Parts: sequence; structure tokens; C-alpha cells
Amino acid sequence: MKRFLFGFLFLFLSSALMLSALPQELSFDTYHNPNTVNSLLKSLNTKYPQLTKIINIGKSEGNIDLIVLRIAAQGQVDPDSRTAAFVSANLEGTHLVGTEAALMLAQKLITKYEKDDKIAQLLKNRTVYVAPLLNPDAAKSYFSDVRFERQTNDKPTDDDADGMVDEDGLDDLNNDGQITQMRVKDPEGTWLPHPNKKRLMKTADANKGEMGIYKIYSEGLDNDGDGEYNEDPVGGIALNRNFPHDFEYGIKPAGFWPVSAKESIALLEFLVKRDNIALVLNFSSENTVLNLQQTGRAQAAGDKFKVPERFANFLGLDPEQEFTMQELIDLLNSMNIGGGIEIDESIVAMILGLGPAMNIDQQDMPMIQAIQKEYKDALKEAKLEDLEKRAKGVGKGSFVAYCYFQYGVPVFSTDLWKVPEPKKEPAKDALTVDKLKTMSSEDFLALDDEVVAAFLKDQGAPDNVKPDMIKKMVESGKVDPAKMAEMVQKMPKQAKTEEGEHPEGYILDWADSVLEGAGFVDWTPYKHPTLGDVEIGGFVPFLKTTPPSSMMKETLEFHTDFYIGLMGRLPTMKIKETEVKPLGNSLYEVTLYLTNSGWFATSSAQGRRSRTAWPIRVELKTAVGQTIFSGRKLVTIPFINGSGDTKKAEWTIQGKKGSKITITAKSPRLGSVTTTVLLE
Amino acid sequence: MKKHKLIQIGMGVLLCFSLISPKMLSAEDVKLSFDHFYDYEELTQTLKAFEKNYPQFVKVQSLGKTHQGREIWSVILNNPKTGPAEHKSGYYIDGNIHGNEIQGTEVAIYAIWYLLKNYGETDLATRLLDERAFYIIPTMNPDSRDHYINRVADPNSPRTGLIPMDDDQDGVADEDGPDDLDGDGSITMMRKKDPNGYMIPHPEDSRILIPVRPGQKGEYTMLGQEGIDNDGDGFINEDPMGGYDMNRNYGYNWQPNYVQMGSGYFPFCWPETKATRDFLLAHPNIFGAQHFHNFGGMILVGPGANNFGEYPRADMSIYDYVGKKGEKILPGYRYIKVYKDLYTVYGGSIDWTYNVLGIYTYSNELDMDAFDDLAAMLGTQDEEEQDEDLARLLSYQQMLNEMAYYDLVLMGEQYTDWKPYDHPLYGEVEIGGVKKFGRRVPPLFRLVETSHRNAAFCLYHADQLPRLTFDEVKVKKLEKDLYQIDVAIENSRVTPTISFVAQQKKLHRGDRFQIEGNVKLLAAGRLTDKYRNITQKVETQENFLWIQRGIPSFGRVVYRLLVQGKGEMNLIYDSLKGGYYTTTANLE
Repeated sequence: MKRFLFGFLFLFLSSALMLSALPQELSFDTYHNPNTVNSLLKSLNTKYPQLTKIINIGKSEGNIDLIVLRIAAQGQVDPDSRTAAFVSANLEGTHLVGTEAALMLAQKLITKYEKDDKIAQLLKNRTVYVAPLLNPDAAKSYFSDVRFERQTNDKPTDDDADGMVDEDGLDDLNNDGQITQMRVKDPEGTWLPHPNKKRLMKTADANKGEMGIYKIYSEGLDNDGDGEYNEDPVGGIALNRNFPHDFEYGIKPAGFWPVSAKESIALLEFLVKRDNIALVLNFSSENTVLNLQQTGRAQAAGDKFKVPERFANFLGLDPEQEFTMQELIDLLNSMNIGGGIEIDESIVAMILGLGPAMNIDQQDMPMIQAIQKEYKDALKEAKLEDLEKRAKGVGKGSFVAYCYFQYGVPVFSTDLWKVPEPKKEPAKDALTVDKLKTMSSEDFLALDDEVVAAFLKDQGAPDNVKPDMIKKMVESGKVDPAKMAEMVQKMPKQAKTEEGEHPEGYILDWADSVLEGAGFVDWTPYKHPTLGDVEIGGFVPFLKTTPPSSMMKETLEFHTDFYIGLMGRLPTMKIKETEVKPLGNSLYEVTLYLTNSGWFATSSAQGRRSRTAWPIRVELKTAVGQTIFSGRKLVTIPFINGSGDTKKAEWTIQGKKGSKITITAKSPRLGSVTTTVLLE
Repeated sequence: MKKHKLIQIGMGVLLCFSLISPKMLSAEDVKLSFDHFYDYEELTQTLKAFEKNYPQFVKVQSLGKTHQGREIWSVILNNPKTGPAEHKSGYYIDGNIHGNEIQGTEVAIYAIWYLLKNYGETDLATRLLDERAFYIIPTMNPDSRDHYINRVADPNSPRTGLIPMDDDQDGVADEDGPDDLDGDGSITMMRKKDPNGYMIPHPEDSRILIPVRPGQKGEYTMLGQEGIDNDGDGFINEDPMGGYDMNRNYGYNWQPNYVQMGSGYFPFCWPETKATRDFLLAHPNIFGAQHFHNFGGMILVGPGANNFGEYPRADMSIYDYVGKKGEKILPGYRYIKVYKDLYTVYGGSIDWTYNVLGIYTYSNELDMDAFDDLAAMLGTQDEEEQDEDLARLLSYQQMLNEMAYYDLVLMGEQYTDWKPYDHPLYGEVEIGGVKKFGRRVPPLFRLVETSHRNAAFCLYHADQLPRLTFDEVKVKKLEKDLYQIDVAIENSRVTPTISFVAQQKKLHRGDRFQIEGNVKLLAAGRLTDKYRNITQKVETQENFLWIQRGIPSFGRVVYRLLVQGKGEMNLIYDSLKGGYYTTTANLE
């Protein structure tokens, strides 16, 4: 007995010791370098082996592991076959705050599993993959002895086409541990100090009679003696420009071709292997919830098309005539040229050479707008609405755009933080959106034009929208103030710089006041070996993307909660009910009602268009002695909308009374459900 | 010209046979025979034999393994006695990226054999092996090649690589392909007697079906390729082997699957495309390229799609010069543009090699139907107002000619007559039609001609890569130890030392002009007007200067150097893709 007790005590002590050896929960007031991020993930895995798994998807060009942490509780279904969300962060390398957010999200899920029933349910039925740091090479520049901003990985690249790689990078000439700028007086200079903010530079505007004084370079030497400065710095491919939707060819940092970086290849290999991922939540400088703007003009934007001449001649159509997509689909199907293959929109798009989709599919818009509205309202409540004004849309070749257009799942990206702009207290009689909501048309028409103009400007309306225009619309009854308020809220907010102000003036003010000057290096003379007398100074690196520790926690808490909320809305395919109706003579009509009790539809419209969102396959398994009288053994249901939308599949079966039939519905992003019905 | 096509082809065949009469060609101990196609085993042995018999010229290397574990072979030809390969313009050939388009491999090995056999015998072969390096991947798709040759196939497949893909999205891959129900070694067609069908037999040959005319009653229905519903899902042949197109998987203007069918998950996601990409990247001196396909008799040039516009005019004039010569080397072949004259191809290999690597690239569609194109002979094809009835009659005649070819020329070998078959789903059907070697690949009696003429086109292109000479080196003493040196560099070939697209997009480094010796380069310029003595300044660095535009097509450029020093000095013109040339000058 004594021995038993001793053993028990030993076990207890050793497990307690093991726990205490692990790091405390993170406090989220600092940034972690790539190696620390990876060891944090590994220690989470050591501490919570039941909930987590480390998936090493590859290495960066600079040989740092790219780690995805899989978070899922034990359940009936293998985690890699459950409907899943993928959380990605910091593909840009400069978005360190995104890495911290992803870490917080992982920590929340893991530590709240025991306490929070919603999270417990989520982790029992779903899987969450978290990749907190997808561009470690670029991120490490924040932690290096000389701090500088870059978005490129470590791939040695010949930026200036001289046969040498990375031979002329930045140099910390003034030994302040960071790279800023150099300004040098030059007869050909095009820059001058801004009249209102002398420390900031602006380009000379010849129309205003301004003359340039300075040339501006980034801090460094002409290391390779070719007359250029810092034209071939360390680094190769900017990962968040290297993805294959609207990729920019011929722009070196984007890479010579899409998915040409080790990291982007590793990421896509991970994703295409996992067809259970149904939602991507990303952290980057792009806020695609607030700004829905896409990268390019749609070739397929028109709703009518001409058929290219060679096809028109072949098909006996008039090359000058315009057709709608549906007309062409019907026409081609009626000609039977598919040889049995059903001609659909994508085949017609291919024949017409329409190219890829460039806009968010109209069918997906209500889903996106609903989330946008919730997000905006929540931001306002949390007093984080500052994010709205300068929200950036997706970039060319960005990962987020790839996820929506090609991987074919709903995707949301948030930027977490922006340098706060001083809030101007609105004048007492100023018009606001809230006032507009409850205002009558008469009251609106009675407003001074100046008040309306100030409102329009404040809301970032285009310059050509004038007060009298708006008033005319209200007068004619086309809109009322409440409707206008709704429209204004949907409108993307745009920041505008006041006449005579420097666009980054507010950043300088903020750096001066909040950071007590730590955000700007004052211009200081320096004797440059080839440029002569220069001055070194400017904004410090990472100032604009990286919140100070005092400002981190609030936005991280908010956004991780928001993302966890979205995960709770993943589609859930369920069998609502089955009906068996005897028709006599051992004939039965069998009906299956399939429903989606999640909030998101079972697939996005773009996912269906890109053919990565598989339809739901409903398969009926008959027993011996049963035959299908009508209906196919295999029925496909393209998709089911969210919030309880229901679709049915029907068959007429001939079989013995009391015999059973098994029906299975499945799709990779939804898993599978099975039921057995009794013929009676 | 079309009217004389038949006669031309006939003469071509005669000429060809009189030159290379035996089917067996041998270069020392390497014997090639063109009475069959080379499968993977035999190809491997042949390449090894080349290497063994010509160790001084040949290096055979595997670029990696295919999905099924075969080696992707590459062959490098170079004469090290005349310099390392990277100091010479390289010429690249690949073939058979599409598994069923097999004869490109035969052309590739013919080209290797031709150069090795004729080295020291003919001027051209000697010059090419001395001055060029050759990079050849005889088959990019050995898995499908072997399947096509040795197993059941049809003229059009397997085009794909053989990584199983779930085409019908049922969770199982490659589970319902066509089946050789009649056991003739080929996948042919199924048809069924059907009073409600929309086809009737050709009045003069019941093996051919023709569509009914309005008001006419049909007798047959076509049921597609030979096969059964292997997975019992109610569909037939809906998930055959593979299911992707490697020639849509390259990294320029790549588009996702829903825009460009078969393009893959992202550029270079297949082992074969990845391996060839790395091979090309590892040899930046490659400057001319050929990707062999079949069929239709075409010398194709990009762009594959017009969304990024045309190739720059300056490069098109280079393409045109060689391409039009190609039409003479390959009678009946047309030199045409992919997107304009064929169809839109996103992510094709020729666009990547040209737009990303700056390589002048063609893609030949090897061989034409070996039966006569009657409509073309009568010259009615291009006429706008074509009489509908006449066109139909002509096409019926065409079908008869085709059958005559299968019966009388191929003597039945490549055509399976329709025979009844009891199909599990369709009941009584007939199976028959053209067998796998019956179309797209040349009949064996024409394989030598296909190989020789297309190899000749490649060798012509290789010979048209840049060939520089220091035409003149004039030293003028200005004062003590200060010299002005005028160096004239001439390119006697149509290809400039840098393609225009590479200059425009800075795809690779420029040409480097360097001096060595007890000298110091003080200044340099390009002589633009020798009569008025006008030079354009060129920035110099430590004893070298960058020539970003290279030496143009058939061009002669004079550089004027201002040099301090004395004694003998070396002049080095180092072009990444245009070769490495040296000469000396004496400062006195």
C-alpha cells in the first residue's frame, strides 16, 4: 500500500513538473521571432497532444520550418476528413501582428476547450488548421541586428540582371540598427520638404512652381559599384504576390511565374491535398471584409458575347451577333456538338476565351455582405472602426484571391491594425449617418449645402458627387435619407487627405505623441563614400504595420473571437428526414430530405464555377431483390444553402415489404451521412 | 500550292527512300531502326548505347522519376574539346509530353544519331557539335508512352500523365476507363442498330456512318468509345486514366482548371513538368527550342492565348525567318500561330520558354493524315460561298478515300471491322473502327521521313543561333600608354545574342564585354556613326561593360574602348545565350 501511494505521488509530481516546464500562456504584448513561433507551436503540441498535431508542410527558402498546427478534439471522424477551417497569417512577412493573432487564436481554442461548450463542440466536430507564420524569412528581418522591411523570402535573386545575386543590399550607415532613408541635394532632385511638415518629403509639383531639391535613396552603399544603390538586396520572391489568381508577370518580386517559391508551393501542396477545408481565414495587410475591391477588370463582365469568328463559322453562327451565356449553352447543347458531354457555362467560357472570373460571383455577395455588416457593427461597438477608412483590398497574385477564385472556398482576411488617425469631433450641427437614418426627406432638403458637402467628404464620396445632386434625388423621391444612410454604410470608406496636408502627416503626429518620437529618425548629416554629404532619416521600419504593445491585445482579442465565430458557421450536412410512400404492388416512393444546418452554404458559387467545390453525391444502395424503378442510383445535388435550406432526392423502388435500403450522401468538404430506410 | 501537295509528298517519299534506303540506320554500334516505335526499355538501351559509343560527346542523365517510377531521360551533346557546354548556344528538344503523341521521340533520337554519325563527315554536323550544345529529352511522358505502345490505347489517348485523378468526383480515381471489349489491342468505337438513330451507313461503304438528312430515318446510334460501366454508377468511361494535360501546366499565362482544362493545381505540379523545368533552368545557355507534338503538319509559334498581346515584333521577325524556312524543309507544314490559327492554349510550354526564359521556341505538330485531302485538292476549302451539297458530297468522298487508305495502303492492319458484341448495358452492339496506330502517328513507311525532315528543321534552327566573330580589332595609340581600340563584333546568324523579350523584361543578364591584361578600361562607347566619329557612351565597370541589347540579328557592332596599359590584352565577349568568344589585341 505504501508503495502504491509512493508510485501515485511520483506520477502526480512528475506530471506536475512536466506541466510547469512548459511556457506560460502568452501575454500578447510582444512579437515572436520565427524560431520562437515554431517552438511555441511545438510546446503547445507537447502540452496538448490530444488536441493538436504538428504538420510540417516544408521549409522556407531560408531553411525555417513551415508549421501548421492542427487543432481538433477526438471524435467519430478523423480530423483530416472533417469540415475544416484554415487560418493563415503573415505571408507578407511584415504583418507580424497577424502571426500573433494566429497564435492567440490557437491558444484560445486549445485553452478554452475544457471551459467553453461552443469551442468544445467546434473542436469535436470540426478541424482548425493554423499556420501562424508563412513567410518566416521576411519576418526575421524585424528581429535582425539591422531591422528592415521586406516581403521577400531568402531566394537568391538577380534583381538587376547583372549575373550576380543579392550583391547590392541595404546598409545601416548610421549604425542605429535600422534602415531608413537617405536624402541628398542633387541638381536633378525631385523631392523637397513638405511645407507643413518639414521632416516629411514630397515630390515637387511643377504646376505649383515648386522645384525639387533632393534625391531620395534607401539607406545604403553602391556595394557592387554599378552606379545604382540597393538595387539587388537580399531576398527573392514576395510570397503574397506569388499566387496564381491575377498574377503579375514581369514584376520581379512577384516571381517569374505563379507558385514559384518554396513556401507557396508547400502551402498549395498542403491545401490541395486537403479537400476538407471549407473556409479560409487570413491575417494580412488586406482587409477583404471591409474592402471588396478586386484586382482586375473582368473580361467576362459583359452579359453578352460575340462568338470568335473561327468558332462562329464552324458552328454556322453570325460572328457579329451577340448572345447571352444561357443562349449559347442552349444553342450548343441543341447542336449536340458535345458528343454526349453536357455543355455548361465553363465550357462556353473556354470556347469564348473569357478567361478567369475577376469579380466576386453575384451569388456569393449576400453571404459576404452579411458578414461585412456584422463585422462593421462589431468594430464600431469595440471602437475599432478606424480600420475602415484605409482598408486595403486584395492584391494581385495574393493568397486570399487564390483561395476565393481557385481553391473555391469563402475567404476572409483582416488587417488587425492601422496607425490611428486623430478623430475630428464632428461639429454640433454636422450631419452623421446616425442622424440620417431617422431624418425625414423634408429635414434633409432643409440642410445647408455646406453641411451636406462636409458629410459627403467625410464619407469619402467621389468628388463628382455634389450636394445638389443628392438633394435632387431626395426631392424626386428616388431615395430617402434612411435608404441613403444604408447606402453610405455599404460604401467602402476612403481616407482623404486635406488640401495642403501631407498624406502621412498624421502618422508623424502619432509617432511624435504616442511613441514619443521613436517612430521617426530625424534627418542627420552623414558623409557617404560615393554620394558625398547626405542626411539619413525618416520613418522607422515596421512603423505602419506593427502596433505598439499597448495597442495589440484589444484588436487580437476582437479578431480571434470574430474568426472563431465564423468557424462555428461552417456548413453541416444532415439528413432531415426520409419518407417512404407505398404505391402498391411492392412499389415504394422513397424521398430523402438533405439539409444544411450550418450558416454558410455547402459551397460558394465561385467554388462551383472553379469545380473545386464538389457536388453532394447521394448514392442509393439496393439490396438483393430490389430494383430502381425510377431515379438514378447516383443523384448529385449541386449545393444546399445555409440556415436550414433543404433539397430532396427521390426514387421509386420495387422491393419486398420490410426490406431495407441504404442511402449515403457525401462530399469532401462536408463529410458523409448515411441512413437506412425500411420499405413499408 | 495545295493542288500540288500530293505530287510533292509523293516525290518527298521517293527522295527519302533513295537517300536512306535500308530501314536500319547505324552509327557505329548504335543501330536505329524505324520499322517500329521505341518503347521505354528500348529507348533506355538506345540512349545508353549512344553514351557508351560516343563518351566524348554524350551525357545521358535521369532528370527524375515519373509517377510510375520510370526515368525521365535527358541527353546532352557537347564537344568539350571546343569548350564547355555553357559557353555555347544551347538547343533544346523535347517530345511526347502528350503520351499518345509518340513520334517526337523518334525525331529526337534521329537528330542525336544524325549529329553523331556525321561528325567529321559533313560541315554542318561538325560545326553544330563543335559550336553548339544540345539538350534533348526524347520523351517527357514515358509512363503514357509505354502504355500507348504496349497496352490498350486509342489514337487520342493516353494524352495525360498517369497520376490517378478522380475525374467524376466520386472519391475513387481512374475506376471507369474504356475497355478493350473485342480484344483487338485498341480502344475503338461502339455503335448500335437503332431505328430512331441519327446515323445511316454510307451508301458505298457500310463501315462508315453518315448523319441523316432532314426527314430521313436513321439506322444507327453511336455509343462512344468501347467500354462498360466499370464502377456501376450508371455512366460509361467517365473516369479514365490520369486526366490532366501537362502542356497546360507551364508557368506563363497559366490558368486554373475551370479556364484551361487539365492545367493542374498550379504550374509545374507534376513530376515530369517539374523535371523539365529544372533541366531548362540549369542550362541558361539554351536559346533555341522545339517541343514535338502531333499532328496536322504545323510549325507552331506562340502566343497560345491573346490576353497578353502578341510577341514583340522584333522577335517575330526572327521567328518568321526560321519558321518560313521550316515550311520549305517540311513540305505541307504550315508555319502558324497557336491562338490565332489553332486554338487557345494557356500555360503551354512554348509560352513559358519564350516569355520567361527568353528562348526562341517552336512546336511542331508532326505528320498529317496520310490519305488525300480531296476538298483541299479541288481548291474549294477556302472559298467563302461553298455549296452545301457539294461540300457534303466531298466529305463523303473523303471518307471513302480514308477507307481506301486503311484497306489498300495499310492493308487492314489499323482498322477493325465492325463486329457484334453483347454489351451488358446496351445489349447487341457493334464494335470497330480505327486502331491506335491508324491516325496521328505516321505509318511506319513514313517514319523515317518525318524524323529526318523534322530533325533537319531543328538542326537548321540550331545553326541559326548566334555565331559571333571579332570582325576587326583596330588599336590606335593616343599618347603614352593610352590607346583607343575599335572592336567590331559581327553576328552571321539571324538570332541576336539576346532575345528582345529578355531585354524588355530583364529576364537574364546582358552580354558582358571584358578586357584582361596589364590594362585599365577608362571609358567605352558604341560607334554609331563612323564617318562623323560619333560614339554613344556606355557605362563601364572594372574592366568590363554590359551590353544589354547584345549583338543584333545579322548585325555588326563596333565598340570603342579607351584603355590605359600595355602589352597583350584579352578581349572576351561573354553572352549568356549567345556563346563565349575571345580574341587578343596588342597595345603598341
